[in-house]
Amino acid sequence: MNELPRKTQGLGDEALAMARPKYVGKAVQRLEDPRLLTGAGRYVADIRLDRMVHAAFLRSDQAHARISAMDCDAARAMPGVIGVFTAEDFADIPVISAPSRMRDYRATKCTVLAADKVRYVGEPVAVVIARDRYIAEDALALIEVDWEPLDVAADAESAAHSNAPLLHEELGTNILFERVFETGSADDEMAAAPHRVSGRFRIHRKTPLAIEPRSYVAEPDRANDGLTLHGSTQVPGIIRDILSGLLDLPGNRIRVVAPDVGGGFGGKGSLYPEEIAVCALARKLARPVKWVSDRSEDLCSTSQGFDETIEAELGFADDGTLIALKGQVTGDVGAYSIYPWTAALEPVQVVSFLPGPYRIPHYRGEVKGVATPKPPTGPYRGVGRPASVFVTERLIDMAAAHLGIDPAEMRRRNLVSETEFPYRIGSGIVWDRSGFAECLDEACSRVGYEGLRRLQQEARAAGRWFGIGIATYAELTGIGSRISVAPGMPINTGTETASIRIDSTGAVTATFAVASHGQSLETTLAQIVAEELGVRPEDVRVVHGDSGATSHGTGTYASRSAVLGGGAAIVTSRVLRDKIRRVASHLLEAAAEDIETGDGRVFVTGTDKSMSFAEVAHAVYSDMKALPADAREILEASESFDPVTGTTTTATHIATVEIDPETFAVKIGRYLVAEDCGRMINPLVVDGQVHGGVAQGIGAALLEELSYDRTGQLLTGSLADYTVPTAVEVPHIDVVHLETELPGNPGGFRGMGEGGTIGAPAAIANAISDALSPLGVGVTELPVTPERLFRLVSEARNKTDTEK
Amino acid sequence: MKPAPFEYVRAASVREAIALLDHDDAKIIAGGQSLVPMMNFRLAQPERIVDINAIAELSGIREDGSDIVIGSLVRHAEAMRSPLLARHFPVIAEAMHHVAHLAIRNRGTIGGSLVHADPSAEWPLLVALLDGEIVAEGPDGCRTVKADEFFVAPLVTEIDETEILVAVRFPKPAPGAGMAFDEVARRAGDFAVASAGALVSVEDGVMREVRVALGGVGDGPVRATAVEEELTGRVADKVSISDTVELACEGLEPETDIHASAEYRLSLVPVLVRRVLERAVLRAGAGAA
Repeated sequence: MNELPRKTQGLGDEALAMARPKYVGKAVQRLEDPRLLTGAGRYVADIRLDRMVHAAFLRSDQAHARISAMDCDAARAMPGVIGVFTAEDFADIPVISAPSRMRDYRATKCTVLAADKVRYVGEPVAVVIARDRYIAEDALALIEVDWEPLDVAADAESAAHSNAPLLHEELGTNILFERVFETGSADDEMAAAPHRVSGRFRIHRKTPLAIEPRSYVAEPDRANDGLTLHGSTQVPGIIRDILSGLLDLPGNRIRVVAPDVGGGFGGKGSLYPEEIAVCALARKLARPVKWVSDRSEDLCSTSQGFDETIEAELGFADDGTLIALKGQVTGDVGAYSIYPWTAALEPVQVVSFLPGPYRIPHYRGEVKGVATPKPPTGPYRGVGRPASVFVTERLIDMAAAHLGIDPAEMRRRNLVSETEFPYRIGSGIVWDRSGFAECLDEACSRVGYEGLRRLQQEARAAGRWFGIGIATYAELTGIGSRISVAPGMPINTGTETASIRIDSTGAVTATFAVASHGQSLETTLAQIVAEELGVRPEDVRVVHGDSGATSHGTGTYASRSAVLGGGAAIVTSRVLRDKIRRVASHLLEAAAEDIETGDGRVFVTGTDKSMSFAEVAHAVYSDMKALPADAREILEASESFDPVTGTTTTATHIATVEIDPETFAVKIGRYLVAEDCGRMINPLVVDGQVHGGVAQGIGAALLEELSYDRTGQLLTGSLADYTVPTAVEVPHIDVVHLETELPGNPGGFRGMGEGGTIGAPAAIANAISDALSPLGVGVTELPVTPERLFRLVSEARNKTDTEK
Repeated sequence: MKPAPFEYVRAASVREAIALLDHDDAKIIAGGQSLVPMMNFRLAQPERIVDINAIAELSGIREDGSDIVIGSLVRHAEAMRSPLLARHFPVIAEAMHHVAHLAIRNRGTIGGSLVHADPSAEWPLLVALLDGEIVAEGPDGCRTVKADEFFVAPLVTEIDETEILVAVRFPKPAPGAGMAFDEVARRAGDFAVASAGALVSVEDGVMREVRVALGGVGDGPVRATAVEEELTGRVADKVSISDTVELACEGLEPETDIHASAEYRLSLVPVLVRRVLERAVLRAGAGAA
């Protein structure tokens, strides 16, 4: 920014063009950082309101049980307790159900608190409202529940059996959905293929684990018979809309505000029972009600991710050309189909993205989701793609090894090439032109791939287990209205609206329905508005995450906010800029088309005439002599943007690992990402998103797993047992950016917030498999812990011994 | 995750603390790194918390004749930086690098770690390895407990509820003894899946005193006496060590939990024992040829 000339009056056309701020693409320091880093941020837990009371939830310690009796009398009698509430106290709130037009989909019914039976450990069954949280938790210990335990089928395989105990009796089955995708004739072509590789892959259950757990304060507005929910949510618009119906309040009397939010990763992207409960109780008690999830609750009640078994087979020709792919995905989706995404979200995306960035003419993908007595699964950073990329990239490496072709070369031969875009993969997803091969080549060249292979030979000769793993993937981001993540969803995720106004002081406020919770949108959207309008980013106040400030909008998830929010920022800024130019043409006595803007000023090109935005605003709003009445255009614009389809983001990740052959500890050496996210708004932000995503992917690859035992009890109920990567476990990550060809949206942006998490599990799984290839074993289960490696290697060694 | 109600009292002396402990369900708090999480999970619900942080006599590391005495209030970080400990027991600083994270090392105390008696923790192993003695004071005065008697079961020690662990006493090792510590954990700072420490004295290329202690594979720290006996008098080289390390598994019955199976833990024992013995021999200046 510093290189921009400050003095702009009297510049000629060419100089003016140079003087136009160029903020998009610059490493602008985050505008939200001074606030967040000095403790001036305001999170839900920071909110303290007059007469506020505190909620604590009694959660089921049973995976599947009938509630035969509940005694809350002792809890109610405890000093400081304001009330104890059970399911019947919420009887007037409609049952929550996530609809879908998908054939063979069965919606579940969920009440705010479990009524007659519980379906997972952690399901809320009662809520205590007390003067403070300590008393509320003391009172929880006094509630007595008589459980009548029911049979438990704790995993998808056993729950899918026809004689398995049913979680939702009225459905007659635990299978919540089934779907098939087919292109070509995969069965025949697979049978006829000269070579085949196959595997049974498993990716275990994970939790999003935002640093700030879910938190809500419901604030009744008695004057207007309304309500404000301050919520740590990614989707304030979605929550406002559903609460309006559930609480029977029009949208102008219910407002959902996400203040500063400490991460979401998908876990704050759905509707939760606690959200409804605090709102209903705040209305009932006419007092603000606060609930801040503690870490234990977060681990057993926030929507969880992954948990799939994927049987997959790949058929290919002698030269490595891919012919056919088949996949059968079974999702262990938890106890309820989550609102609004449904339980189909994650497993269906696994099967949708399985063909990846490759040319595979014949595909058959089958998917089913099975209800199990565990917390509901929901969106988790990467949705479906971490699993599908893991499977496909493993199969590609297995095929390469089968033929003796280098894994990089195997990919090069099969990636969709420049001339083939737009390319429709077997599941129906259409890739627009993105740098598939370019990212692979750039990654190989930057990492020194040939040199790494030579290093590997030396390491192997010395008895070391050193491996190199590649993962190339594509994902669809910034999805518009023509593509629905789940058909028949009651919400529209395909559009975003921006409202930008210049007030009577000349200051710019840009309002969006997206909800930044770590994505730096206050900076990147300000950069875009600044660029388009002709002001500095720090002069733009970005308002977001407040349903009261917008008519419609869903929030921030699915790598959509840069494409959709950014697109809305551009189209809206352009309309507003035209207004400014028309007004200024009167004031500066020049044609509107000769007016330029920059640095918060308007100029007449080729002259020294200019004035500030503040002066323009003064003329419009305050100095009633300055303009004829019909030229006083209010300096506001509000426009919607719909990208209609999606845009393709691609990347290649390359990782090296070294495994200790005695302790099975895995150490990541090099880690490089070459990605094409189109035009970058801010490379600092892109790098940060890639780094964070890769860290989460490393968790999925090596460490993170929610373990449930056969009775449905959670074994990893604290962060001592649920192990997430720390700074020590995350290596230095090199990020290379490519801009192969810009997509056809106003900014040329592609979404990239999830990519790191998508590529890393596959790259690391391939690197470990590569390291272990002399032993003839490969990774099929994530996370690949030292324990799992120990077993894999022991089995391989026993087998070798037996063969001897 | 809020603790149940409790009474908090701060003691100014060991005698006062002992008097305050004469109460139903009283617990001592020092660094709070184990007790506070357990209270927040409501796994521990003491009625009274006796804070000993202000008791000066429990602090400090000092030399006492042929012993080094570490006060029970000494923090892990202080032990890690102590020149006196570095001179006599460099293995302590080496082990402290594996104790959790900086914030925990700055608060957590040696006494707390020992009375918590997690079989995977570093201090119990060090006490076993370095022939430490626990000094406990109760209503009837002071007593000294040896390592092999102190650790009774996981999270259970010989110390009585009315007593305070006041210090740990380590006899200085033979001059020139080599020591080493190593562990395998899921992540940096996690409790060990398995750990090992070694102390070796070498004279004329022959191992004279050999001590090997193991963590994470039993009810408490375990001395690998079979290895110790076998190696004493053997040539201090890699061959002697590798010939012997399998003996370390004798009699071990490690637990299976979500982080590691018994088989995996057991497989780590000879590996860790070999690594610490080889390093200890090197440090003893004999060279593991």
